[in-house]
Amino acid sequence: MQDALLERLRTAVGSANVLTGVELSPYVVDGRTPEAAVFPGSLEEVAMVIGLAAESDVPVVPWGGGTAASVGTPAARAALVLGLRRLARLVEHEPGDLTATVEAGMTIAALQAVLRGRGQWLSLDPADAERATLGGVLSADASGPRRHLYGTARDLLIGVTVVTADAAVVKGGGKVVKNVAGYDLPKLFIGSYGTLGVIVEATLKLRPVPEDERLVALRFARLKDAAAAVRALLASDLIPNAVELLDATAATALVAGVAGDAPGLGKTLAGAPPATPPPTGALLVVGFDGLPEQVEWQCAELARLAAPHGGRDAAPLASEAWPRLAAAARAAFPVATAMMAFDVLPTQVAELMEQGAGVARARGLQTAWAAHAGVGAVSAALFTDGEPREPGPVAAVLGEWREMARAGGGHAALEWAPLAVKSQVQVWDDLGAAGRIMQRIKAQLDPKGILNPGRFVAGI
Amino acid sequence: MATLTSGRKTVLRRELEAIVGPGGVLSDPDELLVYESDGLTLFRALADFVVFPTSAEQVAAVVKLAGREGMPFVARGAGTGLSGGCLPAEGGLVLSMMRMNRVLEVDYANQLAVVEPGLVNLHLSWKVGPKGYYYAPDPSSQQACTIGGNIANNSGGPHTLKYGVTTNHVLGLEVVMPDGEIVWLGGRTRATPGYDLAGVFVGSEGTFGIATKVVVRILKKPQAVKTVLAVFDVIDQASAAVSAIIARGLVPAAVEMIDKLTINAVEDAFGCGYPRDAAAALLVELDGLRVGMDAQTERIVQACRDAGAREVRTARDETERALLWKGRKSAFGAYGRVSPAYMVMDGVIPRTKLPYVLRRVNEIVAAHGLRVGNVFHAGDGNLHPNILYDPRKPGDEARVVEAGAQIMRVCAEVGGSISGEHGIGLEKIDFMPLIFSAADLAVMQRLKNAFNPTGLCNPGKVFPTKKSCVEVGPVAYKPHAIEETGLAQRF
Amino acid sequence: MARLAEDTRGTTAGPLALHGLSVEGVNQCVHCGLCLASCPTFAELGTEMDSPRGRIFLIKSLAEGRTALTDSTVQHLSLCLDCRACETVCPAGVPYGRLIEAAKAEIERARPGSPARRLFRWLNFGILLGHPKALALAASALRLYQVSGLQWLVRRSGLLRLLPGTLPAWEALLPSMPSRRERAPLPPYIPAEGPRRARVALLTGCVQAVVFGAQNRATARVLAKNGCDVLVPEGQGCCGALHAHGGDHARALALSRRTIEAFEGARADAVIVNTSGCGAHMKGYGQLFSADPAWAERARRFAASVQDVAEFLARTPLAGPLRPVAMTVTYHDPCHVVHGQKLRKEPRQLLAQIPGLTVVDLAESDWCCGSAGIYNLTEPEMAGRLLERKVRHVLETGAEAVVTANPGCILQIQAGLRARAAGVRVLHLVELLDRAYARSS
Repeated sequence: MQDALLERLRTAVGSANVLTGVELSPYVVDGRTPEAAVFPGSLEEVAMVIGLAAESDVPVVPWGGGTAASVGTPAARAALVLGLRRLARLVEHEPGDLTATVEAGMTIAALQAVLRGRGQWLSLDPADAERATLGGVLSADASGPRRHLYGTARDLLIGVTVVTADAAVVKGGGKVVKNVAGYDLPKLFIGSYGTLGVIVEATLKLRPVPEDERLVALRFARLKDAAAAVRALLASDLIPNAVELLDATAATALVAGVAGDAPGLGKTLAGAPPATPPPTGALLVVGFDGLPEQVEWQCAELARLAAPHGGRDAAPLASEAWPRLAAAARAAFPVATAMMAFDVLPTQVAELMEQGAGVARARGLQTAWAAHAGVGAVSAALFTDGEPREPGPVAAVLGEWREMARAGGGHAALEWAPLAVKSQVQVWDDLGAAGRIMQRIKAQLDPKGILNPGRFVAGI
Repeated sequence: MATLTSGRKTVLRRELEAIVGPGGVLSDPDELLVYESDGLTLFRALADFVVFPTSAEQVAAVVKLAGREGMPFVARGAGTGLSGGCLPAEGGLVLSMMRMNRVLEVDYANQLAVVEPGLVNLHLSWKVGPKGYYYAPDPSSQQACTIGGNIANNSGGPHTLKYGVTTNHVLGLEVVMPDGEIVWLGGRTRATPGYDLAGVFVGSEGTFGIATKVVVRILKKPQAVKTVLAVFDVIDQASAAVSAIIARGLVPAAVEMIDKLTINAVEDAFGCGYPRDAAAALLVELDGLRVGMDAQTERIVQACRDAGAREVRTARDETERALLWKGRKSAFGAYGRVSPAYMVMDGVIPRTKLPYVLRRVNEIVAAHGLRVGNVFHAGDGNLHPNILYDPRKPGDEARVVEAGAQIMRVCAEVGGSISGEHGIGLEKIDFMPLIFSAADLAVMQRLKNAFNPTGLCNPGKVFPTKKSCVEVGPVAYKPHAIEETGLAQRF
Repeated sequence: MARLAEDTRGTTAGPLALHGLSVEGVNQCVHCGLCLASCPTFAELGTEMDSPRGRIFLIKSLAEGRTALTDSTVQHLSLCLDCRACETVCPAGVPYGRLIEAAKAEIERARPGSPARRLFRWLNFGILLGHPKALALAASALRLYQVSGLQWLVRRSGLLRLLPGTLPAWEALLPSMPSRRERAPLPPYIPAEGPRRARVALLTGCVQAVVFGAQNRATARVLAKNGCDVLVPEGQGCCGALHAHGGDHARALALSRRTIEAFEGARADAVIVNTSGCGAHMKGYGQLFSADPAWAERARRFAASVQDVAEFLARTPLAGPLRPVAMTVTYHDPCHVVHGQKLRKEPRQLLAQIPGLTVVDLAESDWCCGSAGIYNLTEPEMAGRLLERKVRHVLETGAEAVVTANPGCILQIQAGLRARAAGVRVLHLVELLDRAYARSS
């Protein structure tokens, strides 16, 4: 990066808030080091930074907590990292309206702590809440187990302030929960990975904190039996807030722990550890919330409903399990070789998990699978067991997985893989005609292509 | 668009008939007359043709023809919209989707259905009802409005407080783009990679293309439902009760409010059992598990009593419940019994500002010498002040429009929005600058350009346009009294 | 170009009317569109002009001089069944039935059609339906046509297809004509059985008396069993309903006056009607004569005394004993009972009191069967489509019989079921009640 630009950036945000050289190591992605990392302290400063970058034709990568920073096709050029961590205020919280306006750099955990103190919460529970920021979670459309009942960002975001590629400050939506004035711009920015604008502020719908909440784990000898139980659960009158299906590998890691990683959930409310399923089995973890009598009744009903399908040893899980569930597949291995995320129909979940594991096993690779079974969101971690291997077999497995999802009308995205694998496997599905529309939208909003270029779908 | 000569019209008619069949084209002025308005008769615009396609391919062929001729086009459902959204503002083609009205597929295991856009909203719930499912977005006009229309306006209804609006229940759409290409936006899975194209299409008021198939979510019917009617002598108390209910940690399925004028109109029409002398009535509905429902209902009853309710009733059975809701859902039409005409306003405000805004609304309307009936989705702050007037009384129409404009300003002032459900359409174009800056509108325009670069798909809607020079349209121009006083503009 | 609507209402002097017939009701329409989903012709065609809202708009435009009675306007208005299902759902209370009747009268006045059409209407409305003797003569002729074997020949030989216009439709609708003996008129007075609770007068109708005299006799018996002295006034005939619905306004008025005169003398507590179209029309006599000072009060008083037979019988529990009728039936709501008179639960309440009877719900039970007065003769194609829809729903119930309360519906549905060789019977509600009583005596 030219020194002139660096100087102007330092002037704009203050020298202390511009990182260069060795300080940039946390911001290396796919082996590429950014030009610099800049941390503006206000909305105006964000606009200034983008303006400066655009002038000099330097790409900009918005950065929250970095939890999803490695998702995407490897970038062609080094970019300017625009960190949002200094914009971290809760701007407004209106408990009577159940809405809050929050700056993008606030972590989810920090936000929840403040809200819960007032008896409310944001019903979004992605992994790494301590690090993940609101802006990042929205841009990556991250979510967790409670999306089963409470939906994802698109069901919670009602207003957004972004800085666009031409350094303009633009607001979409509003502060009210129901709003059809103009186009639904907030939807556009969710899951857009910062390619259309940098989110600086967001207004969200909140919920009252439920009086009681409980997680129940049931063990199954066979994954297909667990899937049958899920079907029965979804067709029943029960209202779970989470329906998690874990294969044996992921389940064992959750319950018994993984060497060198977080300890297992040995302790439960009742004192006895939940049993882990056999190697071909599965763990079904279901969450309920509401009035204590409602939670009680539903837990009992669940056991009754699951029994004919072989669901055994119903055991409550400690609340520490919640954040672990959000990344259960990944946590199964000390360091996964590759992570893939799928969106399929709920009825296809179990088959994908089983066949996917089989495909990997055939090439001598281990896998761990976890799914939000009620919404068809599946996560798989691939492990090569020790020394790094040739990327070939890994790429082949990932390719077959993608094809399995596509055959059912679903999608696959490569969330993490080493550069060698990424060079052989596309991160994103081919989106066809829809992808061309997305390219046109990108061309309209960021004609110079400076916002996170080359990393997203359809070559965006 | 230049006027069509009759010769050209005949040629085009034959081409259109070749696409949709001989019974599928209207071009006779007498038959076009009934298509000049939607549910809002304040605006009229005559089309050159109305066509009735029966497949996506036919829609695509018609759209391509329109593109070739430089002819604007717009899709129309049942025409129950209240913002003039489906009017052919610049002439051209109207594509009535009413003959594409089938349920194509229902997948109960995955809780979704694939339907055609001309399907009546309530008919979908009827279809999946026997198996214990329903389609959640329930606008008051659901017995007549179509899924396609719901998509255009991102329609809500009383139950959006708990269940969200149309966009929260749409998984994917097959769309004919303005250039005639047939594309799938989204799909059947709960999430799709890339930009949320289905999400921005919903609520785009028919300016991005024409939906020809819709994948929607269907939900399991709740195990139990309880409906409570709370009666208040002071309207402020009713407003305050709404916030109090929410503050007790309850998220009812619906909280609806109606005022005295509305109550009386509805009682005249249907005799639903609302008390005629109340200042306001709150209809609160809870749904969910049977276990715990009584406890939650009791909390609602308490919250209403604490707010000063003089009477709180729980519907004893399904019949009573249906009757209470019937009154609420027919409120709009019932105004026809107390006034020759009325203007339905649609604004939304933060719930906590309800008492203040209601007071302002009543003041503004009274100051204009008119009456107002308020019925609305109090749970999410979506107001519908219905300003009653007599179109034969000189000046009434102008006063209505002016009062409406002031109400919109109040909504914007308190941090609300100018439309909660009905959309911007033609009606509220001039109010967009109240809540959006030029930069905001510019980004929306650019988004539209990505879908509709030629601007032929439903032009003249949503965005304020420059005042155009007087153009000779199919009908001779004669300035209306309201235009002469500068209160409204042509486009 | 879109523009704000001009206030054309201000430019038309006085209230809106079509040649003297008021259509002020169009101004009550707020254009909400809730009626669209309940209109059978809209469901079939999807075009706004074939919906109530569209037709109201056309009528308004006609009255304001914005449009004229072109072929297409006439066609769309003529396609209206006048079933008034829209009135049931209209929250603004638009009196649609009166509006469409005024429109049809205006069509007859301004565009009476071809000589053949005018002849048909004169024969129908002027001769047959105006004069009971003419109807009886026609009935005898038709009976001869049937018992002589000519009908069998005509139907089997395919000669039917060669007949012009709507004659084949007519032919298909013909029920078995009763013999002269069966057509004998009711006695003028039938005493109550047991303690007398009311004194009622019975409308025997026109087509009803000739074709379905058995139903009139059953009605009288059931009423007598329920404590009624039944009077059958002389000098009654057609009540004018078919004429009003068919656009012959002048004759409708004349026949209505004759009916009022015939019944006034009976001084009954109530005038009982077992045919839905007649009941609805007669209840509207007050509005029909509202502009006539000589008749307004008389008509209003008379109208207030008119009751549908189910409405009357359902006020109190039926007098016993009723013997079991072991049948599975389904109920079709005639339009002018359910929409025209707002009587939905009364017939069902009566059916529920017949022991041994299983009643299955009929889908779209309150949707028009296509009979609609003489609509099935003037608009056979649409009538056929709606009949098809109705027959499909009936067969879906698996019932042995369809129960209803209108001769037009009975003829229409019977023809439809016969064409499908379905073996399902069509009965009038009073026939079932009569059967339940007959078994006990």
